[in-house]
Amino acid sequence: MEKTGIAVWDPVEIPQKKCAMWRFPLRSIWVERIETEWHVLSLPERREHGDAAYRLVARSQKPPSSQWRHYLHRDIGTMQPSPVLPDRPVVMRPDRALTLLPGQSTIFFLELPVWFRLSTSGYRPAKVFEEPLSVLTRTWFGDPVTGELCWGLATRLHHSIESVDPAADRAVCPLMIENDSESDLEFQKICIHVENLSIFRGTWHLWTNSLLAVFKGPDQATQIEIVHTPPGFEEGMVPLSEARLPSTGWNIRRTFGMLKYFTDF
Amino acid sequence: MFITQIVNWISTLSPDVLTRGLRVAVTVVIGLVLVRLLAVVTQRYIMKKSTPQRQMIVRKIISYTGFFIVLMAVLGELGVKLTALLGAAGIVGIAVGFASQTSVSNIISGLFLISEKPFAIGDVLKVGGTTGIIQSIDLLSVKIRTFDNLFVRIPNEKILSSEVTNITRFPIRRMDIVFQVDHGQDLSRIHGVLSAIASANPWSLDEPEPVIMFTEFKESGIEVMLGLWFAKTDFMDLKNTIMKDISARFAAEGIRFAHPRRMVRISPTPADAPRRRKARSTVARGRATSAPTA
Repeated sequence: MEKTGIAVWDPVEIPQKKCAMWRFPLRSIWVERIETEWHVLSLPERREHGDAAYRLVARSQKPPSSQWRHYLHRDIGTMQPSPVLPDRPVVMRPDRALTLLPGQSTIFFLELPVWFRLSTSGYRPAKVFEEPLSVLTRTWFGDPVTGELCWGLATRLHHSIESVDPAADRAVCPLMIENDSESDLEFQKICIHVENLSIFRGTWHLWTNSLLAVFKGPDQATQIEIVHTPPGFEEGMVPLSEARLPSTGWNIRRTFGMLKYFTDF
Repeated sequence: MFITQIVNWISTLSPDVLTRGLRVAVTVVIGLVLVRLLAVVTQRYIMKKSTPQRQMIVRKIISYTGFFIVLMAVLGELGVKLTALLGAAGIVGIAVGFASQTSVSNIISGLFLISEKPFAIGDVLKVGGTTGIIQSIDLLSVKIRTFDNLFVRIPNEKILSSEVTNITRFPIRRMDIVFQVDHGQDLSRIHGVLSAIASANPWSLDEPEPVIMFTEFKESGIEVMLGLWFAKTDFMDLKNTIMKDISARFAAEGIRFAHPRRMVRISPTPADAPRRRKARSTVARGRATSAPTA
């Protein structure tokens, strides 16, 4: 039984003497259960493109490696793989410098990389492990004293969802921007606080909460709002993963503070 | 037996002495308990959000002041004339003061350090030739654990009067790697290769951008400086990987590191000319005689 596309995020049961394999373009994950132990192996892949796939294979086909990690958990129920957003803010460097003129508004569809999380779904669900599915660089956002360590990513600015290829290892973040100032808004770097975003599963894509940003001018903090309802770009959107840091009042204030650097002013 | 002796001794005392002894005992017990209670309450509740160093100072001030007051009260209760005692204490104080100049200097330095806060417990500090993690900041000294697990006590006075580097004060740092490459190589290509090495290293930050500078023409080669920014916790990972990366990539690209070398050229003098001609002809004859014959 093989699953492809975003169906790889379905719950799975791993029988004895079988090994589960999730294969993504840049990483493959192998999981097997031996009595109360979960054995997990994460290996880099070299495919730049390609669909994700899940299948069960015989134990004899598992790769020999010294990198297998062992986790102990008594529950032997189904396993829940889920996509989660990275553990730090992501600084996106658009492929082209774009300027939003005063009084204009637009929407971008940003592709955010997701991490693979495997949890047990028994009586007491527990996270087994997490693994990034793509290679992100480390970057610094802000000045060297008060800035923040982030993941860096070069990305395309998509104006419509049609130009975004469906992928199981990326979530689409709709970013609506309004330039409510008298000055130009130049996009050089965009810092997205992904730890405040949830992931939803649509028909073809994974989605995050929509973000609404209002640029008031270079000397004022940019206002940003996280839309908590699922984005309405696809039918039948269902929640898949919760935000690492639910956007409480404290996080909102922190986000506002960071958004002074929203466009690297 | 012993208890019986004590009871007998107490029964010989006058009621006045007994009353006074009781009052002294009560003063000591209640006084010490109150001082201890005040110090604990101040540290735990009033200065809850303060730094550990300030808590320690306030606790010690409260304790020493309290003990002094209790001592004065006890001495007063015992009938000791405090004015005479304080006069004697003044003289003793001068003598002790001269003897403990260094300690007082350290205490005052410690107060300055605690108020200025140039470092905190857990920071990595470099003082002179010593580098290590701060374990405690006390009134007299700062205690450091070096990376090879040695305990070093540095007097506060020394820290205040010397250059101190707090290595982990800021969240990111730059690691400068300086080396030389051979003369006559394509510097633009070397620049590109170093940029690629920095981009490929997982511990090097891509923002702020790495610094690549060709700093000087040296005797043996051209000096290059590669400055990589990194999160302060990633020092070891970056240090261990970047040297291997540079070495492997340079070997693959055929870029040669410069090695110390010295070229010696001997210029002939006119007086040497006949001797050199003779040496050359001898060599030529030797070659002719040793040539193989058919």
